[in-house]
Amino acid sequence: MSDTKAAIRLWTKAQMRLGFRAGSPVILISMVSALLGAGQMWCLASVLGPVLARTMAGGGAEPEAGMADGVPLWGVAGFAVCALLRVVAGIVSEGLAARAGEVARRRLRRDVMGRVVAHGPALLRRSHSGAFAALIVDRIEAADGYFSRWVPASVLWMAIPALLLVCAFAVQPFAALILLVCGAAVPVCQAVFGIGAAVASRNQFLAMTRLQARFLDRIRGIATIVLAGRAEDEARRLAEAASDLRVRTMKILRVAFLSSASIDVAMVVALIGIALADAHGVSGIQAMISAHPDHVAAPAAAVTRGMFVLLLVPEYFAPFRGLALAYQDRAHAQGLASSVLELPELAEREAGAPLQSVGPEGVSVAFEDVSFTWDPARGQALSDVSFAVPAGQALILSGVSGSGKSTVMELLLGFVRPGSGRVLFSGTDLRDIAPDSLARMTSWIGQRPVLFAGTLRENVLFARPEATEAELFTALRAAAVDRFLPSLPDGLDTPVGEGGFGLSGGQAQRVAIARAWLKDAPLLLLDEPTAHLDPATEADVFESLRRLAARRTVIMATHSGAAEAISGHRVVLSGGCVVRGSEV
Amino acid sequence: MMRGRRKSSEALADLAGQEEALTDVAAIREVVGLWKPQRVRLVTGVVLSVVALGCGLALMRGAGLRYSGAVTGALVVGSSALAVLGVCRVVFRYAERLYAHGAMFRALADLRVWFFRRLAGGAAAGLGFRRAGELLSRLVSDIEALDGLYLRVLLPAVAACVILPVLWFALARYDVPLASAVVLLFLVSCFVVPVTAMRISRQEGGVQLQALGRLRVGVLDLVSGIREIRAFGSEERMLGRVREADEELMRCQAALAWRMALADGVSRLCGYGAVVLLLLAVTGTGFSVLPVVPAVGLIFLVLAGFESVSSLTRAGMLSGMMGAAARRVVAAAGPEERRVRAGGGALLPAPEETDIRFDSVTFRWREDGPKVLDRLSLDIPAGSRVVILGPSGAGKSSLAALLLKVVSPEGGRILLGGADLASVSDVSVRQRVAWLSQATHLFDDTIRANLLLGRPDASEDDLWRALDDAAVGDVVRELPQGLDTWLGEGGVRVSGGQGRRIALARTLLSGAPVLLLDEPATGLDSQTEMEFLATLNRVAEGRTVILIAHRLTGVEKPDYVWKISEGQAILVS
Repeated sequence: MSDTKAAIRLWTKAQMRLGFRAGSPVILISMVSALLGAGQMWCLASVLGPVLARTMAGGGAEPEAGMADGVPLWGVAGFAVCALLRVVAGIVSEGLAARAGEVARRRLRRDVMGRVVAHGPALLRRSHSGAFAALIVDRIEAADGYFSRWVPASVLWMAIPALLLVCAFAVQPFAALILLVCGAAVPVCQAVFGIGAAVASRNQFLAMTRLQARFLDRIRGIATIVLAGRAEDEARRLAEAASDLRVRTMKILRVAFLSSASIDVAMVVALIGIALADAHGVSGIQAMISAHPDHVAAPAAAVTRGMFVLLLVPEYFAPFRGLALAYQDRAHAQGLASSVLELPELAEREAGAPLQSVGPEGVSVAFEDVSFTWDPARGQALSDVSFAVPAGQALILSGVSGSGKSTVMELLLGFVRPGSGRVLFSGTDLRDIAPDSLARMTSWIGQRPVLFAGTLRENVLFARPEATEAELFTALRAAAVDRFLPSLPDGLDTPVGEGGFGLSGGQAQRVAIARAWLKDAPLLLLDEPTAHLDPATEADVFESLRRLAARRTVIMATHSGAAEAISGHRVVLSGGCVVRGSEV
Repeated sequence: MMRGRRKSSEALADLAGQEEALTDVAAIREVVGLWKPQRVRLVTGVVLSVVALGCGLALMRGAGLRYSGAVTGALVVGSSALAVLGVCRVVFRYAERLYAHGAMFRALADLRVWFFRRLAGGAAAGLGFRRAGELLSRLVSDIEALDGLYLRVLLPAVAACVILPVLWFALARYDVPLASAVVLLFLVSCFVVPVTAMRISRQEGGVQLQALGRLRVGVLDLVSGIREIRAFGSEERMLGRVREADEELMRCQAALAWRMALADGVSRLCGYGAVVLLLLAVTGTGFSVLPVVPAVGLIFLVLAGFESVSSLTRAGMLSGMMGAAARRVVAAAGPEERRVRAGGGALLPAPEETDIRFDSVTFRWREDGPKVLDRLSLDIPAGSRVVILGPSGAGKSSLAALLLKVVSPEGGRILLGGADLASVSDVSVRQRVAWLSQATHLFDDTIRANLLLGRPDASEDDLWRALDDAAVGDVVRELPQGLDTWLGEGGVRVSGGQGRRIALARTLLSGAPVLLLDEPATGLDSQTEMEFLATLNRVAEGRTVILIAHRLTGVEKPDYVWKISEGQAILVS
């Protein structure tokens, strides 16, 4: 458990370093913007100072028409210019922050997708494909704020106050001292309340996630709930879960808000402290004025300085607030970290014999005492399985579900490696064959072919995008896809897959056959290709498969009687062992 | 799978129709209307936020006045008044945050429960029945989007409404043109800019949502099609497709981010512009001269006031997205269920007898769709075992939906124990008829909780008997945590066959006299399927069993076999 925590910390730290690289322009521009803010306030004070000093000299009398003479109008212009520049800086830094988030999300997505693809289907045994989609799309999307807000804020909350402190010190050392003390009190208060709040916000995030997950799960299964007559029950339980979440979260927020209240307190204290301290200093200025009523320049400068530090207070505390606001973004990144770390690392290929290419003609396949274990708790999925298929012949694997048929298929596809024993393709150990060479050698048709979002043409061409139109039509005819083409609204250009036209199971299987035909690989792996079809369709599909199987090495896992359409060796698996092998 | 997809796209089309009939405002009003029970709390939250805001403004103005007053020798604000304002500001701000969050959590719970009830009670139960899983997930994220409505949109909007008159009255005392100019700038900052942001986000938001959808489809394709992709060695190609979708999304987001940054900039420029105007007035340029002592207070006030509404740009952007989300949610929830029949009489409980009779039933899923059933008649005597056969798409599942009263027939009647289903309450129909299909959902919960859904008061022994009857008892016994094993999302921690058996156990547990099994063995291998069907022969003694299938395996011992063809039922044996 502490290992995972350490791993999460390590991961977020690494991400933070990467985030700084993209985030440093944001930080720089934000600091420039803060300096411009100080400039604004200085201009503001420079206008107000002389006017105040003059009013003072006039004994607090109402101003007259001639008052404006000698008041620096450059201050007004300066304020306007600084404001304009500051707004531009703000726009640029916001845009750059968005880009930093973008860069990070792109990098994370590529990393995670790379891992998922490299690890392959074995991952899907552990998690639902929807969970991966949620990770790659939603959770990474949610981590945007970590890079666009939290990373800059984590520097700026110290950098900007330090910068402003220097400005304040140059002008009014006593006020700078007040700011320093109040500013330093913020992290101290954060430490006192903040540790709890950090833990709290993480827990709240978890609780929230759990509530969302529960709600989503119940909504997905709503038909089951309604038809079981439990709708009212579940609605009540949902309400209870939500109110439980509220009670727990509020307990946490009571503390968490204290930490932001501490910023408020610090700011109010600084504001009042400076206002009062300045007011004391003012009596000295008044003495100055009463001594020399005509020389207002020196007292005016003093008033300007006092005004400036007062105006600086809100600017000084703004970055603290920014940090508090970005706190939630940090929790998102930590949530992401734990999901990403569950994925296996990109494995380096173990050194060994150099990868070999196996000629595409006539592949023979052999299993030599192959054992494999998915999960040690459940025992071996395959134990000492041996069989051999000569090139151009067929092997039918049968057995009940869980007997190891699918494991044999996964091994043949190279998705997993045998625990012991060897899988040989034309005498070469599978682990020594380059992955792309292996992919060129094999065609595979599973139980439910996946149709990708796109047109039917794209789905068939998926097997070999560079195929000519003539080759495509040969494949379509051989797989009997041409038989149902006329019933599709746009023929070959009908969109299928997610959100497209729904093909029936038999039609989808024909698309898979057309893919295999187009690929024209010497080894054909069939994993219960008709498991979900009705008998009439099944017979039809087998007819197409038989044509496809001619002159190829075929290994088919099936439980169907119609499989007799394809003749070959038969191997019956039971409990991961070969119980019967026969020649037909 | 394929069929589920087609039906979900039909369901989407249904929803799109209902969505168009709604405006954003009407939808948001309906959502806000849900919060009526929390009205007092929500209003208190608003009041607290206004008081906290007032204290903040008064404090800033007071600090400025205090200083300028001291300089000129006129004591305008006492130190103690300043301290009181400071304490009030901190305390009220804290109280407001706590209270508003509490109220928001209540409102959030209300919204979820309301949505669940509506979906459960309305036509959308059919939606779930039609397996539009992705659609439902999207709706859930829409509901999450609405969570920010109160805290992030409503509260800042109210703050703006309070600050506006404060600014006016504070300034108009000295100079009306000045006050008008500042208020005008304020209106641009808190109204024009946010509304523009709302417009932009509504336009761009749609495009962005589409891009996000494409990315999601691409990723789902990549993950669920990983076998195909690996087997065909097309990793790079498919990754490239997803990256393209990702880039497109990023482009949309970047464009939106820049425009929002620009809007934010305009809003801040307005605030600074107001300060410039005040400075000009102080120096007597362009406006009548503003006395300097109050002017300092006013400058502090204006700075703080504009600062308080700076979050409105974001609020505008959010509300643009919320409008669309609210519309989808309200449309999906559907109109209030009519508990009372059009004829006037209340719905009756189902009679004890369970003879089922379809009498010349006509049905279609959508009004403009094809007829799925066309004057279909069939009889299922109580206690008999009936198999209903037919190819995919023949209307077998429609038959199940009709019998469960998820949908109603366009013509003809369905009789349960002699009573017309239309006059019988949904709940009592479903107490009589238990349903199991491949779409039956296993919840992300323990095996125990999943089983208890069938009968909440079942004893431990009942649970084990049901599991044994479903031939999955031994498997569960071997699990280290037994009944308390967590099943995981969609039951992924057990194999497909085991999951189906657990679902069967739940169905058996319900004790309903009629079992409606809609292709319950789909996806199981033949031996497991035969064992499963044989189990049914054994356990369902004395109950009516309606098995919907596309073929007979030979182990079923049906009393009657009906075949559905061209919308009609033919008795085969």
